[in-house]
Amino acid sequence: MNIAVCLCPVPDAASVIGFANGITDRSKVHEVINPYDEYALEEAVRLKERFGDSVVTLFSVAAGPAAGEMLRKALALGADRAVLVSCTELSDPYQTALALFRAILNVYPDSLPDLVFCGKHSTDFQSGQVPPMLAELLGIASVSAVSALHATGEGVQVEREIEGGVEFLELRYPVLLSAEKGLNLPRNTTIKAVMEARKKTIDLMPVVVGEAPFVRMTGIEPLERKKTCRMALDEQELIRLLSRERALF
Amino acid sequence: MNRSLVFLEQREGAVKKASLEVWRRVRELAASTEGTLVYGMLAGPADTRFLEGCVDGEVIVYHAEQEEFRLYNPERYGRLVAETMQRKGIANLFFADTALSRDLAPRLAVRLQASLLSGCSRLSPAGAPGGCVRAVYSGSAMALFEPEREMRIYTLPSRGTVTPSSSGGKITFVPLESRNDAKEELFPVVRRIMMQRGSPDVAEAGMIVAGGRGTGGPAGFALLEELARLLGGAVGASRAVVDAGWRPHPEQIGQTGKTVAPALYIACGISGAVQHLAGIASAGTVVAINSDPYAPLFDVADYGIVGDLHQVLPKLIEALQEFLKSK
Repeated sequence: MNIAVCLCPVPDAASVIGFANGITDRSKVHEVINPYDEYALEEAVRLKERFGDSVVTLFSVAAGPAAGEMLRKALALGADRAVLVSCTELSDPYQTALALFRAILNVYPDSLPDLVFCGKHSTDFQSGQVPPMLAELLGIASVSAVSALHATGEGVQVEREIEGGVEFLELRYPVLLSAEKGLNLPRNTTIKAVMEARKKTIDLMPVVVGEAPFVRMTGIEPLERKKTCRMALDEQELIRLLSRERALF
Repeated sequence: MNRSLVFLEQREGAVKKASLEVWRRVRELAASTEGTLVYGMLAGPADTRFLEGCVDGEVIVYHAEQEEFRLYNPERYGRLVAETMQRKGIANLFFADTALSRDLAPRLAVRLQASLLSGCSRLSPAGAPGGCVRAVYSGSAMALFEPEREMRIYTLPSRGTVTPSSSGGKITFVPLESRNDAKEELFPVVRRIMMQRGSPDVAEAGMIVAGGRGTGGPAGFALLEELARLLGGAVGASRAVVDAGWRPHPEQIGQTGKTVAPALYIACGISGAVQHLAGIASAGTVVAINSDPYAPLFDVADYGIVGDLHQVLPKLIEALQEFLKSK
């Protein structure tokens, strides 16, 4: 089985990002693998272990030393090889999807991988647009935010959360799936795996994305949240305040 | 002539409230802008008699009632929407921000070569379909996104507010033909859905009572469930209690859970980590109940009570019952 996993680095939860004059300053940020991508990677590695004779290839369009570090860690978690996709700056999910699309076609020129896994969204921008866009470009079926998966030789049965319930879907390979939290319990690296990962390859692959973006981010401002909390003396007062001042009931 | 299409999502034949809310907001925006026409689109068999009570004035809805659209199918729905927009010269498409639109809209954006502005807290400038503002970096910043293409797709989160009653309008349903072979299997295929009966989903609730570690365990949520029932709302959970297995993941609110925008959010025993606050940035009124007066949640709350939720909630429930009776 050929399995592709798309990874991206994101600022870790404790990082402080500066927004001065509408410019985003990520210089003091520590980057980690997008938490949702960990579920995607774990699922890919489990399928590789189950089906045998499988290769898991990682794809990432990030730049900088953090990207290489992230890929090394992911290789230590069970992937076989990695492709670091390099191109001119990508300004929106469409361009990111195009870059991944071209890299995937380069790596799999004859037939598409059986499965492409992504995380449901990245925790920095949370748009969740890249996985379905990538699937549309590849011309394959996709399901986003998968919370459970059962794979066979021909395809997969998946579950995803919908408002107030669960949807059960079926697809045949090739498919693209994006992972929701709780799809599995990601493993930890072991010293042995980290040592073995040093022998695995990370290829640098330049691609060209000439298409204009769909969307531009034209401004960013820090969100000032502090409110003045009105402390209620007792529960009756709280109900009165919510009714009188907020018209809630 | 500016034409907009609002996708009305149906599940089990009932149009979702979130879609009705988006439809109303788009029609209101159009009313204040010269020369904008708003159409509705419905895929699958649905109860249409109820719809007329939700609109004012005269409205057109394109309806593909065929059985093949009863359950969500991205390929069938995608073709239906794309063909309709192209045939009728419609440049703007609106969805409620739901699991369906998060799955379908990006695919449609590529197919139509349209700018996708998703999760829009605010449309900017208010009025003509242009850019949108939404929270990024776990709610620590607000970013403005502008479309670069002629065709646009917007997904708008539900505000969970009560829909104001309309005087009732007239809907003209225009039937849509399906060009698909109904028997062809277009993957992915939804085999079935399983709905939880009873309380509303956290993402659609107008009022949410959420609990954190302060609840002390699954049993502690009984009080929250009672208050939620009284309010006609839903129960939410912090990441800590979901990770501990006390509540299920669909109730989780925050960076790795859901982003919600209810009219009222009551946080009980939740300290207020940044990742949790990211999920409630657009809540109308936030109430914090915590025994720790320095809990970060009080910094973003409108009202608060310092106290143990096990003591506060029973009194709050009683006070609310008394109040509702006296009205």
